Amino acid sequence: MEYKVEAHRIMSISLGKIYNSRVQRGGIKLHKNLLVSLVLRSARQVYLRDYYGGICLSAQQAREWCEGEYMDSEQDKLVPGSKESMPESDGQSEVAVDKQEPSNVVESHAALDVESEASGEQDHAEDGVLDSGCSELKTPEENPEASPTFEVPNGVTTISSNCISGPPPSNPEQATETPNDCQTDGSESVEENSLERTVPQTCTNRKRSADDSELTDSLPKRTKVMSPPLISKNDEKRAETEEMDTSNVSSLITIFGSSFSGLLSSEDGAQPDSEADQDSDSGQICCDQMLKNLNPWSTAIVAF
Amino acid sequence: MAGVAGGNDFQWCFSQVKGAIDEDVAEADIISTVEFNNSGEFLATGDKGGRVVIFQHEQECKNRPHLRGEYNVYSTFQSHEPEFDYLKSLEIEEKINKIRWLPQQNSAHFLLSTNDKTIKLWKISERDKRAEGYNLKDEDGRLRDPFRITSLRVPVLMPMDLMVEASPRRVFANAHTYHINSISVNSDHQTYLSADDLRINLWHLEITDRSFNIVDIKPANMEELTEVITAAECQPNQCNVFVYSSSKGTIRLCDMRAAALCDRHTKFFEEPEDPSSRSFFSEIISSISDVKFSHSGRYMMTRDYLSVKVWDLNMENRPVETYQVHEYLRSKLCSLYENDCIFDKFECCWNGSDSAIMTGSYNNFFRMFDRNTRKDITLEASRESSKPRGTLKPRKVSTGGKRKKDEISVDSLDFNKKILHTAWHPKENVIAVAATNNLYIFQDKIN
Repeated sequence: MEYKVEAHRIMSISLGKIYNSRVQRGGIKLHKNLLVSLVLRSARQVYLRDYYGGICLSAQQAREWCEGEYMDSEQDKLVPGSKESMPESDGQSEVAVDKQEPSNVVESHAALDVESEASGEQDHAEDGVLDSGCSELKTPEENPEASPTFEVPNGVTTISSNCISGPPPSNPEQATETPNDCQTDGSESVEENSLERTVPQTCTNRKRSADDSELTDSLPKRTKVMSPPLISKNDEKRAETEEMDTSNVSSLITIFGSSFSGLLSSEDGAQPDSEADQDSDSGQICCDQMLKNLNPWSTAIVAF
Repeated sequence: MAGVAGGNDFQWCFSQVKGAIDEDVAEADIISTVEFNNSGEFLATGDKGGRVVIFQHEQECKNRPHLRGEYNVYSTFQSHEPEFDYLKSLEIEEKINKIRWLPQQNSAHFLLSTNDKTIKLWKISERDKRAEGYNLKDEDGRLRDPFRITSLRVPVLMPMDLMVEASPRRVFANAHTYHINSISVNSDHQTYLSADDLRINLWHLEITDRSFNIVDIKPANMEELTEVITAAECQPNQCNVFVYSSSKGTIRLCDMRAAALCDRHTKFFEEPEDPSSRSFFSEIISSISDVKFSHSGRYMMTRDYLSVKVWDLNMENRPVETYQVHEYLRSKLCSLYENDCIFDKFECCWNGSDSAIMTGSYNNFFRMFDRNTRKDITLEASRESSKPRGTLKPRKVSTGGKRKKDEISVDSLDFNKKILHTAWHPKENVIAVAATNNLYIFQDKIN
């Protein structure tokens, strides 16, 4: 939990640095801004991974709670699992978690399974995911379904769709590029345009780290004993904060994931000034939004 | 530590300090580069205000042979002025990023100084004679009325007080879109290279309106930018070889005989990353801030945020030596990121015999490593610890647990007092250390 706050803090600091660099004497320093954008991306990966992982875990926990006697043994297993997925505060081992071998693919599919079932898809999701071998490959299929995600009432579906679809489906090459990401670690992606690819990647990694092997076994039992009203109430509250954050995140993606040129518009003069202005405004807006969102958001999570 | 003379340990003594004592440091006075010339007779410093100050090593006193001569101010001039790029609405800082001396060919001295955009070749010459008895003008320079001149005379050279003049002989401008970070004079003494974040240009010292672009790593789409050039240097013996370092912690060696555009490297030096030490800031601390060839040309040294690495040019997959400068900062990277210290670009330097290397740290500490004995020492450049000809006491940073007497804890370090620029005399054991606005000169005690 503190880890996410740390990542959030680093993100807002990074945004502030990028924004301030525009008014620094001597012009924008390309090297420093590049490094800051790399840190921003790493922090963002951790942040989103923790967030979505937290949602997965909390959703599972909520289901377990209402199952009652099923849960005593499961929760004991779950708590160490959640602790493993929330490593120490200094950030190093957390990112190291990212580097697990994709041998836990089965568990990740199971977790994905849980999320999909919340929205009503039951058996086919599991098969579909296992067939694809990699969750990112669902990206092109799910994108049309995702639609403007804010409208979906069920918060978990919103999150899972977001998780998988990530950025607006503007780049037709993403579908072909994402299989490569299965093999690479999300935290190592340094390409600017891979920011968009890493959103689905981080989601998968997060699920890998969140799940124990015990959960895989118990999941088939759990899925049958859902309590929809309780879940939707919890998730609705999350959905509200999620909406604010998603718009924030997608604007972040737009600015920093796909466009380094905005930073450099005054460097090489090739970019139009309007883009630079827009960028600085949105940089400021993002900064403010990020900072505003920190409080209501962590309150919502802490409640779970 | 083995001395240049062989056998003896270094005993560094305070020699001089240049600069104001004020606590309030004017930004323009902050030293931004330090460089000895090839003989060591001259020491040049550049500052953020665009000024260059040159010190000359005075002759040793005959009656006190144990005391090496001091460095005194020889010349001061304004090298660069702040400029404004009207097209991009950008101010161009006058800060001197690098100074490089040219090999001496006549009685005058030449050096290259550069700011973010423009490189200038300065000629520093002495004048100790003055012509007197001009026909057309008076002694004070006023023109004489031609009708008043009744006789013709030959001007006579009269001795005068020594005057050192610095004049800009060449201005190499408008060749860099991004900020220049390095210049390096080639061993052919005719060309030099200049490197900015994305490009390296090769110049001829006589030609200012043209340069060859020899490296260009700018991607077609700037959104795909992943690394920038952080430093470049010419190999000291082979005029066709140069290296450049990147923000990703890699070094590329290029041979100009291979192609006109050296985008494809000849050798690629990279040490595999240790996955267990990965953090948010791994990329930042692996960025190389300085690269320096050894005098022999066989080795090169790179400085990243926490360490110095010595590479053998014949081995690309890992460095032959790695020295930790301030490993205790690894757990503080987040706060160093917040206060921008993690972006500090430390330089490093070799001694004349390539047996020792030196680099700076925080709290006005600087570190020296002996490559043969593997001993290292931490010293401080401060007025408090600098008594005239007093030996410098080794300092130690306590890394946790019990703090011993005389040790300083990591949390007490002053991160505003950083030593980024150091220089080692090419032949003697004399070092120059720039501590913000002060220049310290230390000498090895001759017993």
